[in-house]
Amino acid sequence: MLKAILWSQWKPTRGLVLITSIIAFALPVSSLTITSTLRAQEVTRVMQSYGALYPMLAALTGLLIAMAAWAPDHAGRHTYALSLPVTRSQYAGMRFIAGSAFIGVTAAALLVGTLIVAVAGAIPDGLHVYPVALTFRFALAAMVAYAIFFAISSSTSQTAGVILGVMASILLAQFVLAMMEVDFNLIEKVGEFLAYRPGLFSVFAGRWMLIDA
Amino acid sequence: MSFAIETKDLRYTAGKTFQVSQLDMHVPHKSVYGFLGPNGSGKTTTIRLLLGLLKPHAGRVTVLGSEMPASYASVLARTGYVPERPHLYPGLTVDEALRFHGSFYPTWDGRWADDLVRQFALDRQRKIGSLSKGEGGKLQMTLALAQQPDLLVLDEPTDGLDPVVRRDILAAVLQYVTDRSATVLISSHLVHELERICDWVGLMDAGRLVSELPMQDFRSGLKRLRVSDAPDVLSSAPFTLMARDRGTGTVEQWVVRGWTPGMKEYFATVGASLREVVDLDLEEGFVEMLRAARQRAG
Repeated sequence: MLKAILWSQWKPTRGLVLITSIIAFALPVSSLTITSTLRAQEVTRVMQSYGALYPMLAALTGLLIAMAAWAPDHAGRHTYALSLPVTRSQYAGMRFIAGSAFIGVTAAALLVGTLIVAVAGAIPDGLHVYPVALTFRFALAAMVAYAIFFAISSSTSQTAGVILGVMASILLAQFVLAMMEVDFNLIEKVGEFLAYRPGLFSVFAGRWMLIDA
Repeated sequence: MSFAIETKDLRYTAGKTFQVSQLDMHVPHKSVYGFLGPNGSGKTTTIRLLLGLLKPHAGRVTVLGSEMPASYASVLARTGYVPERPHLYPGLTVDEALRFHGSFYPTWDGRWADDLVRQFALDRQRKIGSLSKGEGGKLQMTLALAQQPDLLVLDEPTDGLDPVVRRDILAAVLQYVTDRSATVLISSHLVHELERICDWVGLMDAGRLVSELPMQDFRSGLKRLRVSDAPDVLSSAPFTLMARDRGTGTVEQWVVRGWTPGMKEYFATVGASLREVVDLDLEEGFVEMLRAARQRAG
């Protein structure tokens, strides 16, 4: 069954996986060509600017693969999936695993690119290359994005209503606090909670450095 | 009599106006049950409730001896379903769809699936998205049959198909029923199509099961009578008077159910005389039953 799900999902996803994999491979390799003649401080600066692209690519990879995971079922209004003799959770689990495997392909492309930098790059003294750490972080971030978009994409309108309800409640609470002249920025606190450790999106924040001290 | 499908007081509401109400349905084991009703009468919704694709708001559904929707996975493993609208993944080829579908069913008969593909002249390398409506219908039927189900649920399987494809599909269903003694629930608004193949009929209208009876009773007991000098109020009639058209003269037209030739004597007892007994075909019977049900419902 899983093999069948993998294949059915691979067909609409393979183009996206190819594109994200090419970008994932090209990013570290292109950074190597730029930094090959630079000194340590300049290398760090270039790597820092490149560092913003990795979490963006991870989020994009997660989003695209999650959307592709449910695309065939959405087209048939989920009738086919619902009529198959497996539990809903088992089916969703197999779809999730299949998408996760495709993220592995993009992550592997990134690993190859970063390993090339590690092997072929002339790294200035005092700096180190972190191919495995960067790849691991990329895979983790892509998985986080994938899991979120996968859940949203598969959810019912009732679940979407709950999510929207929570967001509306936060806005309403902030409005009430402002009316009562309470000096507390709830929206900012929620944002900080999600973006910084141990928040859900903390993996995207901070420095993504392939070459660092 | 044991039932492959049984519902009790099944209720479901969708939106503000549509509802399936108090549905008591009984599909006998090894029968071919024609599920008739006009478009929008609730046939598809009922089928989706039976298969656990929708959750009922009240009532009880038992399919192949298991409660639904609680046991949906095990019931669906024994049920072949052909839905009203195409639902297969359009990016897969016919061959890939066969492999995909077969991987979910331990009872899948790959060799028979190959035979059906050949019989239906399907191109294995064609993408599902590029198949014609008829080819799509044949593929869906192939998938449903090759999993060797105990129960086949076919929701308007021939709707919009040309006569040749319709004949092919119904022939495949009949062959399957003959070979495997399976139960078939087949919905349609094309009455004449079901006349030849069904041994039970359920008639649905406006979310209610108006009638459910053996096809034999439906065919033989449903008559149009021409009666003269009939009293306004009938007492203890041995048949069910479904419709009464008084017309302009003394001769009235009645549509009755449960008619047998021995009932002719009844008319003399009420001072009326029977002029003519006319057989109704299934389509006429269907229309008259609907009309009577709507009159009863007000």
